[in-house]
Order: sequence, then structure tokens, then C-alpha cells
Amino acid sequence: MKNSEYEYRLEMTGISKSFGVVSVLKNVNLKVKKGEIHALLGENGAGKSTLIKILSGVHQKDSGSVVLDGTEITPKNTHQGQILGINVVYQELSLVNDLSVAENIYLHKLGANKTWMNWKGLIQDAQELLDSLGFKIDASVKVKQLSIVQKQVVEIAKAISEDTKVLVLDEPTTVFDPNDIQKLFKILFKLKAQGVSIIYISHHLDEVFTIADAVTVLRDGVDTGSMPIAETDKDGVIRLMIGRELKDLYPKRDVKIGDVPVFEVKNLTAKDTMVHNVSFNVKPGEVLGIAGLGGSGRTETAKLIFGADKKKSGTLILEGEEIKTNSPVDAAGYQIGFVSEDRKEEGVFLPLSIRRNISVTSFDSISSKLGFINIEHEYKKVLNLIEKLNIKTPNSEVDVKNLSGGNQQKVALAKWLSIDSKVIFIDEPTRGVDVGAKIEIYNLINEVAKKGVGVVVISSDMPEIMGISDRILVMHEGTLYGELKKEQFSEENILRYSIGEPLKAI
Amino acid sequence: MALTLKQQLSSPGGILKFLVKYNTIFIFILLVIFSALISDVFFTSVNLSNLLKQVSGIGIISIGMLIVILTGGIDLSVGSMVALLAVTFAILINIFIAPVAILLTIAIGFGLGSISGYLVAYQKMAPFVATLALMTIARGMGFIYSKGSPVTFTTVGGQFMSDFANNSTLGIPNIAIVFFLIVIMAMVMLRYNVFGRLIIAIGSNEEASRLSGIKVNKYKFLVYAISGALAATAAIIVASRTNLGSPNMGMAWELDAIAAVVIGGASLNGGRGTAINTLMGVLILGLIGNILNLLNVPSYPQQVVKGAIIIFAVLLQRFESK
Repeated sequence: MKNSEYEYRLEMTGISKSFGVVSVLKNVNLKVKKGEIHALLGENGAGKSTLIKILSGVHQKDSGSVVLDGTEITPKNTHQGQILGINVVYQELSLVNDLSVAENIYLHKLGANKTWMNWKGLIQDAQELLDSLGFKIDASVKVKQLSIVQKQVVEIAKAISEDTKVLVLDEPTTVFDPNDIQKLFKILFKLKAQGVSIIYISHHLDEVFTIADAVTVLRDGVDTGSMPIAETDKDGVIRLMIGRELKDLYPKRDVKIGDVPVFEVKNLTAKDTMVHNVSFNVKPGEVLGIAGLGGSGRTETAKLIFGADKKKSGTLILEGEEIKTNSPVDAAGYQIGFVSEDRKEEGVFLPLSIRRNISVTSFDSISSKLGFINIEHEYKKVLNLIEKLNIKTPNSEVDVKNLSGGNQQKVALAKWLSIDSKVIFIDEPTRGVDVGAKIEIYNLINEVAKKGVGVVVISSDMPEIMGISDRILVMHEGTLYGELKKEQFSEENILRYSIGEPLKAI
Repeated sequence: MALTLKQQLSSPGGILKFLVKYNTIFIFILLVIFSALISDVFFTSVNLSNLLKQVSGIGIISIGMLIVILTGGIDLSVGSMVALLAVTFAILINIFIAPVAILLTIAIGFGLGSISGYLVAYQKMAPFVATLALMTIARGMGFIYSKGSPVTFTTVGGQFMSDFANNSTLGIPNIAIVFFLIVIMAMVMLRYNVFGRLIIAIGSNEEASRLSGIKVNKYKFLVYAISGALAATAAIIVASRTNLGSPNMGMAWELDAIAAVVIGGASLNGGRGTAINTLMGVLILGLIGNILNLLNVPSYPQQVVKGAIIIFAVLLQRFESK
């Protein structure tokens, strides 16, 4: 084969990518040898996914070059990427639930060049492939009947059913138990022996050090280091992943935190999500941070408390009295607020005006018994909030879809700030928000805390959560793994707890 | 950006934008002018009051359709409900005094609508399917109760209703006044009442509504029940006009109602639409029928024109949202 002429099978050099004004990747290099398992590491938002999406053809790079087996490639979409031999198993599964396992595995080939399908052969091929992976899955059943682990396996089978040169696995083991992980590793070693290059994205450093040959670390869109795995250790990698300076972005808060918790959660376990045995409390005037990796159950915990997801067991105590929140209606009735991380889908009403967005939660205070709204009162209230939150808009009648991300976020916050909350959960308060608006949002959070509200902030942004919290809880695999007091705040400590490692002894 | 009328008109392409924005009213005015030019009979009081009488029934169910569509749903049962409830009213008016018969009929309409509402809101059935089932059931029950033939009004109360439905007050047909009152009520509810605000919020983003602590199910239930009550009102009007309730009434009215709402610029995805524009949609559809009748165009080509107008109106709105 010609491949051996080149030292690297895949060479990504000087890759840069911006979305609008946000620069996501800056001059990133990634070089992977033939038959190598290469770990790609970095915090949430470091740019790993974007880099992979450029490789597979989902996104187009702004500059730089991608060379595969000595030839420069520029896949325009994932189909072209697959033809070139690049296959990606994403975190979000991309299977068609109503088709069989076999059909899913060969989805890209269904109907190619043939008038009639050979269903028997298709199922047979798929079954052989699955058996060779060492998992017991029936290729003829529909995907929706599979467990999430089995779906992940089918996803991997689908990726390797083609002539794969580069296989990318994005957090493949989040749903696996140790036994399954071992099976997966066996598959990977087999592929490696066949000469497939594997890019492995994971937050589990243990796994990385078990299987990877080399590692590349990204931080804030820049590659901070690339080396053979033998030349580094966990601490070395963690150092490369963090190491930003805390900027003076976080306004000081001068609030006396109450002694008696305003809100308490005891042994909360979800019915449908991984959240289990969560216990914590928040005091009046306190800003409590919840950190953890994506998928660790932070958002699910907040939604569970808010009544948006179903509970299996656990107790909620508000101001000393036990409460039940079986729906968001109940939660809102108890003056518990929740600002979703998914602003566009769950936070604001994009086609409606700012006024109509903000009023939605506060009709009780601006309408008569029969539900007639005192429009004058409404305008006053809304304009007041627009001014206070510094929402940049010519007037209150502008549709929210026409606002910038930061201003949309302020509208989402205003909805809950316009009523008196006792506890408010804010999930990713500043995701996709520019720096100026960030500071305004932090000021807002401080103001809310000052009123004696218990504020719970969920954030993947480490400097942010350290900058605004009085205390940080870290989640790992569906439960609280550890608590950090202010003097213990460091990215390293948060990261260690997030990946289930103990803190380093001082 | 909010601009004054003057600024809007003087900006580049401003006049076009203005026309596109208010296209429903614009099309309506154009049609009125066109009709007046093309036919001498159009602007006679007899013709105009006939026109209003013709559209009132469909107009009333269109308002019910609008509030259902605002939540992102649809109510296919209204046409059949008009038939069943017209029969019901004819039976009731022959037994009870008029006010009792009216209230009972509206209550039954509300109850029937509640069935759809329950299935959609609490059983999470697709609105299309739930109301399709109700549509068949209501039509069938109409035939059962009437034994397949029209039920005529025989009492003094029936005579009173018939007089009311066929007379005018200050030159406006009484039933059109009922229709206009319902439009005004809907306008007020949608603009100034929490109920209207919340159903629009639910239609524009159901998940965000849920997470805002809105009782989404309750409101989804209510819109179908109200649509049923409005179908009852329409049924009382059409039965009274003809002095009888027939199981063949309201045939395919649900489709005309949907057309009126859509021509009025409402989005079938929910969250967008106003009562005044639905009124315009109803009048536009009525006008087209009226003018084509005056021109002696047979009914089949009329349907073709109606369809073309729907396509034209929706394309214009697409242009607007860009």
C-alpha cells in the first residue's frame, strides 16, 4: 500500500474556524499515524467537536489544510467524508429508530446500484459484523427496541462497516459499564491492528491512559500540546487542559448569606434519567454553582426539581416545609424559577415580542380576577425591566427572534426576575453571550442574590462558575461527587471531581 | 425595528413591504373595488346583507378554529358539529323555551368539544386524529337523532328564532351582528386577556410555556371546548335561518374555516394569527363566492378560484416573513 510512505495518515495543520464573530479554532494541528489510537482532550467548549466536524465534512474550515494519506482533502459534507474513509460516531446517536439494526448499519448503501434489495444477505452481513464485535444484538430487530448501550454499539458497527481509514469516537463510553468498555477496547485494538487510525475523545483520563498511543490537548480553540502518551501523565494532561487566568469579569457581591437554607433537596432520584441520590441545600443570598461535564446530570437535576422530569424518590424542602413539584406549574406556584440552558427551544418565545415574553410568568400581578390585563401596568413593568437589564432594543414590541443572543438571554432571565422567586435555577446563564452582556448578567445574578433569593447556577464555563459562586457542587455520572468551598476553587479541582478523581493531596 | 407609518412608506421598497404586511386587508379592499366595478348589483343592500348572512355561520366556527390553530392544533370536527348541533337545537326548541334551548345547545357543543380537548391535551392524541374521529362521530349522530331527515321548528319559540335570524337591525343582519360580536370578543380576549396571551404563547413554544409554569394542558383542553361551543352558536344561527336542523348542514365547513384562518395569515404551526385577520379571511372567501355568483360562474370553477386565492395569500405571507 502507498500509505506507508507517509509518516502520518492524517495531518490537520493550521486549522482555524469562526462562527460569526466567535473564533472557535485558532491554528490547530492534529497529526495521527496509521494504526494509532490518538486521544483528543479538552474541556467543554475547547473546540474538540468543531475540529472533528471539520474533519468529517459537517463544517468547512476557514483556513489550514487537511491531508489524508498524502492527499489534501476538503470534504463538503459527511457523505464525501465517508467516501474518503472518515467515519465519526457522535455523542448524539444518529440512528433511525423505526428501521432494523441491519438497515441502520447499511443505511448509506441501501438502494445503491440495485433495483431489488437482498434483505437476507443484508441481515446476515450485519449479524456477522455485530457478532465479531462481541455484543449480542439481533440484526433484524428495530433499533427502538435496543438499549442505549446497544444503540451505541450499532453506531460503532455502522461506522466500521465501511472501509474506514480514520474512525472518530466522541465520548463513546458515557453509557457503558466497565465490562462493555473492555469489549469496546478489544474492538478498538482489533481495528488498530488492521491499520485504522482512531481519534478518541473522552473525559475519562483512565481510559485514555489505558488505550491511547498519543494525545492532543485543546484549550479555548488552541492546541496546547501533543505528545506520545508515554511522555505524560494525568496531571500533565490536566495542566494542559486548564491554566487560564481568571479575568476581572466577575463583579464583587456584597451579600450576607443566611444561615438557614431556603431550599433543601434530600436523596432526589429520577425516574427516567441517570440522576440519583442528589442532596444539597442553598441558603438565602447564596449563589450555589453546579459544575460537571456535559451529560453528568446537572440540567436533569434542575429539571427534576422544577417538576419537568418525573421523580422516583426524594424530598424537597422549601423554607422548612416539604413541598411536592409534580409539574412546572407546581414549582412556579412555590416561586421556584428555572431558566433553561436551551434558550431558543425552552427559554424564550422567539416569534413573540419582548413584552409578551416577559409577561408570561407575571400575569397574576398585572391582571384582574377575570384575566383582563392592565396594559398600562404591563408596559410599565416591562419597560422597567428592559431598562434595568439593559436589553438593547428600540422598544418593547420587537420580536425576541430579532435580538442578539445576550439580549435574548436577558429576556429569558427577565421572565423569572419579574416575579418574586425564592429559589431560582439558572442553567448556563451566559452560553453564547458576548462579554459585555455577560457582566450585565452577573450583576443581575448578584442583585437577585441580594434580595435573599437562593440562586443555583449550572455552568460548564469553569472561570464563570468559580467567579460567581459561593460554593460549588460537582456532579459526576448522575450524582453529586464533591463539594468545593471557595478556598478550594480551582479548575483542576473541579475537573478532578468531574471525572471522578479525588482531589490531589496538598 | 418599529418605524412610523411615514418612515415605512418612504424606505426603499417601503410601499411594497407595507402592502405585504397588511396583505389580508389589502386583498379584501381590492376585491371589494373589483366587485363594485364588475357588477352593478354588488353594492346593493340586498346583496351585501345576503353576503353577510352567508358568511356568518362559517365565520363563527372560523373564530373557534383560529383559537385552536393558535395553540398549534386543528379542529376538523366543527362542520359535523354544526350538523349535529343544528339537529339538536331543532329538537330542543320544539321542547323548551328559546333561551333554555340555546343554552343547552351551547353547553352540549362545549361538552362535545371537551372530548376532543381531553383526547388532545390529556391523552396526547394528535389533534388531527382526535378531531377527525369526532367529525365522523358527530356526523353520524346527527343522522341518528334526525333519523336522516331535517327536523323542522314547530313552536312559537322556533318562530321567534327564525324571525330573529332573518331580520336586520339598523340594516345589518342580526346573525351578522352575532358574528361581529364574537369577533370583537375574540379580539379582546386575544389582546387583553391572559387566556389569549397564554394560548399564543403555547402555540409559539409549547416547551417554553411548560417550563414557564403555564398550565399547558388546561388551555389546550379549553380551546377545543370553546371551539365546540362556537360550533353550537353557528348551528343555532344556520338552523334558525332555515327554520330547521338538518344532518347535512355544515358539510366541509371545517375546510372553509381552516382556509379563512390561513388566508388571514395565521400559522398552522401555532402562535400567530389575529381575530381581525380571520374576519378578513372569512369575508374574502365570502366575497369570492358572491362575486362569482353575480357573474354567473358555475360552482365548480368557483372552487378552483378559491383554491388559487389560498395559495396566493399564503405565498404572500411567506414573502412577508422573509
